Amino acid sequence: MLSVANLTKRHPGSARPVFSALGFSIAAGEIVALAGESGVGKSTLLNCIAGLELANTGAILVGPQAQDIVRLDEAARAALRATTIGFVFQAFHVLPTLTVAQNVAVPLLLGGVAAGEHAARIEALLGRVGLPGFGPRWPGTLSGGELQRVAIARALVHRPSLILADEPTGNLDPRTADEILVLLLERVREEGASALIVTHSQHVAQNCDRILTLTPDGLQ
Amino acid sequence: MSAPRWQLSWWLIRAQFQTRRTATALSMLAIALGVALGYAIHLINDAALADFSQAMKSVQGEPDALVAPQDSAGRVPLALINQLARDEAVALVVPVIETRVRIGELTVRLIGLDVFSAGLLMPDLLPRQGESIKGGGLFEDGMYASPALLARLQTKIGAGVTAMRGDARWSTHIAGDLPAARPDDLLLVADIARVQAHFGPADAVSEGRIRLAPGTKLTAWLNTWAGKLPPGITLRAAADNQARLSNISRAYRVNLNVLALVALLTGGFLVFATQLTAVAQRSTQFALLGVLGLSPRMRLMQVLFEGLAIGVPGAVIGLALGWAMAAAFTRLLGGDLGGGFFSGGTPAIVPELLPALGFFALGCAASLAGALYPAWLNRVQPLAQALKTGFAQRPPSGRDDALRPRAGKAIALALVAGAALALTRLPALFDLPLAGYGAIALVLVLGIAVAPLVTQMAFGAFARRELPAAQRIAVQNVMQAPLMAQVAASGLIVSFALTVSMVTMVASFRVALDQWLDVVLPAPYYVRSKGVPLPPQLLAALERPDAPFARVERMAAGALNLDPRRPTVAVLVRELDPANPGARLPFTGEILAAPAGAIPVWISEPMQELYRLKPGQTLRLPLLGREVEVFVGGVWRDYARQFGAVVIGATDYRALGGKFEATELALWPHQGGEAAARDWLAREASRYGIEMAEAGEIRALSLDIFDKSFAVTYALEAAAMLIGLFGLAVTLAASVWLRARELATLSALGFNRAMLTRAVMLEGALIAAIGLAVGLACGIAVGAILTHVVNPQAFHWRMELQIPWLQVLPGAALTLAAGIIASRFAALQATRLPAAQVLASAQ
Ligand SMILES: Nc1ncnc2c1ncn2[C@@H]1O[C@H](COP(=O)(O)OP(=O)(O)OP(=O)(O)O)[C@@H](O)[C@H]1O
Ligand SMILES: [Mg+2]
Repeated sequence: MLSVANLTKRHPGSARPVFSALGFSIAAGEIVALAGESGVGKSTLLNCIAGLELANTGAILVGPQAQDIVRLDEAARAALRATTIGFVFQAFHVLPTLTVAQNVAVPLLLGGVAAGEHAARIEALLGRVGLPGFGPRWPGTLSGGELQRVAIARALVHRPSLILADEPTGNLDPRTADEILVLLLERVREEGASALIVTHSQHVAQNCDRILTLTPDGLQ
Repeated sequence: MSAPRWQLSWWLIRAQFQTRRTATALSMLAIALGVALGYAIHLINDAALADFSQAMKSVQGEPDALVAPQDSAGRVPLALINQLARDEAVALVVPVIETRVRIGELTVRLIGLDVFSAGLLMPDLLPRQGESIKGGGLFEDGMYASPALLARLQTKIGAGVTAMRGDARWSTHIAGDLPAARPDDLLLVADIARVQAHFGPADAVSEGRIRLAPGTKLTAWLNTWAGKLPPGITLRAAADNQARLSNISRAYRVNLNVLALVALLTGGFLVFATQLTAVAQRSTQFALLGVLGLSPRMRLMQVLFEGLAIGVPGAVIGLALGWAMAAAFTRLLGGDLGGGFFSGGTPAIVPELLPALGFFALGCAASLAGALYPAWLNRVQPLAQALKTGFAQRPPSGRDDALRPRAGKAIALALVAGAALALTRLPALFDLPLAGYGAIALVLVLGIAVAPLVTQMAFGAFARRELPAAQRIAVQNVMQAPLMAQVAASGLIVSFALTVSMVTMVASFRVALDQWLDVVLPAPYYVRSKGVPLPPQLLAALERPDAPFARVERMAAGALNLDPRRPTVAVLVRELDPANPGARLPFTGEILAAPAGAIPVWISEPMQELYRLKPGQTLRLPLLGREVEVFVGGVWRDYARQFGAVVIGATDYRALGGKFEATELALWPHQGGEAAARDWLAREASRYGIEMAEAGEIRALSLDIFDKSFAVTYALEAAAMLIGLFGLAVTLAASVWLRARELATLSALGFNRAMLTRAVMLEGALIAAIGLAVGLACGIAVGAILTHVVNPQAFHWRMELQIPWLQVLPGAALTLAAGIIASRFAALQATRLPAAQVLASAQ
């Protein structure tokens, strides 16, 4: 489902690459934890996989068609994200001017999913992330934990085959964080998707199928 | 785009409008204003021109060509009319005599025609015999009056009537009316032979109107006659009259249209400021959408859609507003917007689809243009970075502007300045000051481009010095938020520059007009009739020894058609001292004495420029039905006749065989006899139905008309300043908002709200001060271009530049104060959020 080969990324203007010649793959339905010290390049790796940043060399094959996101142009990368990738951030990135249901609907609209299916799918998913009836509410009236549940629903709603999560619970208290992560993992398994989850939590890592650790010398 | 994407697009637009109601509404209003002004000017002019040409058509009919004298005092010999009638290509020649006569206190057009031929060409002038008029054929005797004239004279068909012109008079009766005449035309029609018998000229007519045989090519036919016409006579296409008509008000119209364009541009600027800040404020949202799969093209399109969503309703409102304005203005001021070109009734405003669509498109284009750069900036925002740190003011280009050599920038700026200067040296294009307008645009561009340099020079030193924290933050932000500061400043630069330039131009013009009036109104009293010669009894009375005047100067005005497509040139026959014409005319250069035997004339500035003449040269004028060689003795300033005037001495005119029939008098009473002179004049004026005025009255009236016709510019200036200030407030608020996290961090570190507010206000004051200083410099430059390039090229008005510091400096101070208040408002909005919330939220 995801296959990374010989990946090197150097930020423009910096002398040393963040990482070089990385290689790993994730099978369909596999959930992998990504650990590593702060500043080692975990977020950069995720951004490269999602095509938000461009790797300097190497290949990243994503999705059932195994498209190489490094070789795609910006529009094609956006289209790939809209159809095959779901992203959850550390910060609760939601659009403050859209309702909860509208926020969740955005990937459906971008992925060109027929409007008739939207309402039912969104309502069902909101129920499964523990937010039944939250659809018409405005993000400003939700707590941090609730917002992150919205973000999880949004990452799953278009049935992507790969979920990328960058410290999805970093901003939450430990109890809520665990709850949310368990929820995320359950939902990912339910959808049969693959996932790469950046986390510092041992507990979370243990719930994953495999743990990758990024160090300045490469993956371990 | 698929339906679901439209849905998303619409959600975002709606959200945007809901969160930024004021900014959106004001941008919409500004676009509406620009469209409304342009559309109103178009509608009014269209209506006035249509009305005017309708009026002309009604009286002139629809001939293919006209044969007419070039001099309004000239004639077309009957022999020529007969010769034309014998031409095989001519189907019909209708000879016409047109003159002005006085009936009681009224001046009326009297048209003499041959009813049989005229009926074919000028159906609107067909007379109808009154039922009470017995016997005789059609046109036996008497005059036929238009319904409007019958109403004005309060008389009926069958009543007696006396028409007078100079010392000629014709007493007859009203034999019928003109049922097809336009409702407000004051017209008399009579048989051509009878008009000739009473008012002359014998063996000649004032005009021949020609209908060509079917299949004849007009231009080819005109060419066949080119060399065969007697001197002083032109044969021209009737369509030229139409062109001349639209030429009359063309420059004035273009000038108004440029003003409307400026209004539209400021509307575009507001859309720019609104959309730029909208993009900046939503950079994390757009980045998030990008992560979710919104393509870069859609990120661009979304901002353009939002621009259109402002532009489309704005343009629609503008069309409605423009129509309402046009209807209201024509009712208040008539069809010439106070320009004094067309007189007559209120023209009907008839909106047509195509121009409406054109102005609609202009409004949309302006707002799209405003949204273009923000849209592009939105497209190139780096996603990962925007999510982490928010809006990048500069596109990621790899090169750092600040590091680029200043010399390069200075050279580029110098080139722009040089281009602007070069444009001011270019002559008019198509009789319009297009290069001048180009130079104005370049000056504004230069001002905007120079602002960051000025900022660095003005505050660079400050930034290095030890300052209290609040001041330090303000100075650093102005220095380091280049895009926002520049947008805020450029709005003020443009609006203040336009305001200063207008005030400067109007002030220069007013001073010049004031001085000019001093010279052209030397006498205390003036008497004027409208186009008809003054009654000979009055002139005789003035020559009697008991008349209370020490000195009387007479003047007659006629018109010369030198170029069929241009409005006529006024011929002013004046009793002035040929040795000292400078005593009566405001000469702009030296006065040359005519060589012995030559006839001196003095031409006005517009005539000099329109016909490219020089003092000292000789010139052939089509005077009195022949080519007369005259010597140009000098050029005098004339703000009254935009299309040229030539003055000739009365003695010379008489010597050429001209009949000097005075239409105007300048009167100097005896010393101490002013009151008696006044009473005497008032009595005589009311007896003959002519106008009398004191110099002071004419002067006051002229200045009053001037002030009224420029009143609309004050409204535009006020609107421009408001837009500039609003742009400042919007961009300042946005830039503070973008730094909300930074400000919140500062407040967590111990800054209180008052200190933050002070810092933001100081920032606003610095930006406003720079904007106003640069705007003032640009405004003076633009004012100089308006005064020295645009006005002379468009209207042939030349004058000295006067900078009204007493209006400009307080205006600047007021704007600065308003700018500080606007920034206080921006600061209060930005610091209203509790620091904790700002720090906790990701956006
Ligand atoms: N745009 C950039 N330009 C230059 N260097 C960058 C840029 N973004 C990140 N870096 C550098 O790349 C390295 C990796 O950053 P990254 O954000 O991927 O770390 P991380 O592993 O996610 O750390 P954390 O666990 O703290 O989130 C860091 O040293 C950082 O300084
Ligand atoms: Mg990270």
